[in-house]
Amino acid sequence: MSCSLLVGVAASAEELKIYLKTTPALEFLRPFADPVTMSLLVTRADGRPLERGSVGIVLDAPKSGAFLSTDFPVVENSRLLELALPLRQGRAGWKYLFPIRGDYRLSVNVVGSDGTKTAKNFVIPVLEDRTKWLSLGLFCAALFILGFTAGRIFTAAPATMTTAWLIFSCLVTAVSGHDGPVSVENFAPPPTALEIAAATVGKPTQLRWRAPDGGAASTLLSISITHLEKHKMVFAVDNVPVDKDYLLDFQFPDGAEYRVNSIAQFPGRGPLRTEQLVAVTGVEPPMAAQVPALALFLAIIALGLGAGRFSKILAAR
Amino acid sequence: MERTLVTWLGFSFAERQLFLIKSGIFLSVCGATLFVALASSYPAVHDTLHNVRHALAVVPCH
Repeated sequence: MSCSLLVGVAASAEELKIYLKTTPALEFLRPFADPVTMSLLVTRADGRPLERGSVGIVLDAPKSGAFLSTDFPVVENSRLLELALPLRQGRAGWKYLFPIRGDYRLSVNVVGSDGTKTAKNFVIPVLEDRTKWLSLGLFCAALFILGFTAGRIFTAAPATMTTAWLIFSCLVTAVSGHDGPVSVENFAPPPTALEIAAATVGKPTQLRWRAPDGGAASTLLSISITHLEKHKMVFAVDNVPVDKDYLLDFQFPDGAEYRVNSIAQFPGRGPLRTEQLVAVTGVEPPMAAQVPALALFLAIIALGLGAGRFSKILAAR
Repeated sequence: MERTLVTWLGFSFAERQLFLIKSGIFLSVCGATLFVALASSYPAVHDTLHNVRHALAVVPCH
């Protein structure tokens, strides 16, 4: 398994170094592929890990593209994750599934046990899956061939072909207007240790774990979020020391069903498991994100039409 | 069909104009079809082509 290491040196009273490691390595990160293990290591200037402290993590989605959007335009330029993790021997880690391509911005704020604060921003580039680009290329080629064929037919066409075209154009009816966004009712979850606010794509959702009996020191909490349709884990933290409660903001990137699991291990007792299903309300992509893709596809058909006509005229000479 | 239309209308189009008219109608039909297939939110169409939308990388979905 390959991994990438990003280093950030933050200026403070005592110079701290913040290392970010991703597994798999940065060049292998793909949207909605596999969850990425993110590991932070905070060391002092002499290389010794910062024994105690906490780290605040804020992950922001890539900015919107200049012309074409990603397949989740509502997620672009929004906050994806916000949580705090305790540093243990200078380390903190979590798992995350990146939903779209682009440059993610990760802000890391370290607070040492002595109150010293340091911050560092990382950029995590995620490339698009090559098979998606291949699919897009094949689709565009098919549109071009469609336009090319039509261009040849429309140029000085024989009567039979014209008739066939007119019949075709009469049969296909343009349908206008569309329904509003598909909204899924958020069901009221049963009272458990997990409290999850109403989840909507594009906005972070607050997840709160609360100890059922007021909490106990050195409780270890693990939380995982799974996309049920894709059967993929999209987020996980393991064995985070908590007291009474634990709070994190997580954006569900897709209007689908997710399962949130938590396991709390209390000292001297058996683990407390909680499971909750979350139906995320999808948000219809804005027209501004849809029009460029449709315009691109129509432009390719128009290009095919012109090429088809040109080839027919050339062949006739 | 073209000859029938010419008889009805009483005038004929140049071949170039006819090509543009046909192409315009063809592009309109293609645009409407693409919109329904890739941009509308009709549950039946959306659910059927959901994976296709995501596979094309530049088609927005939710």
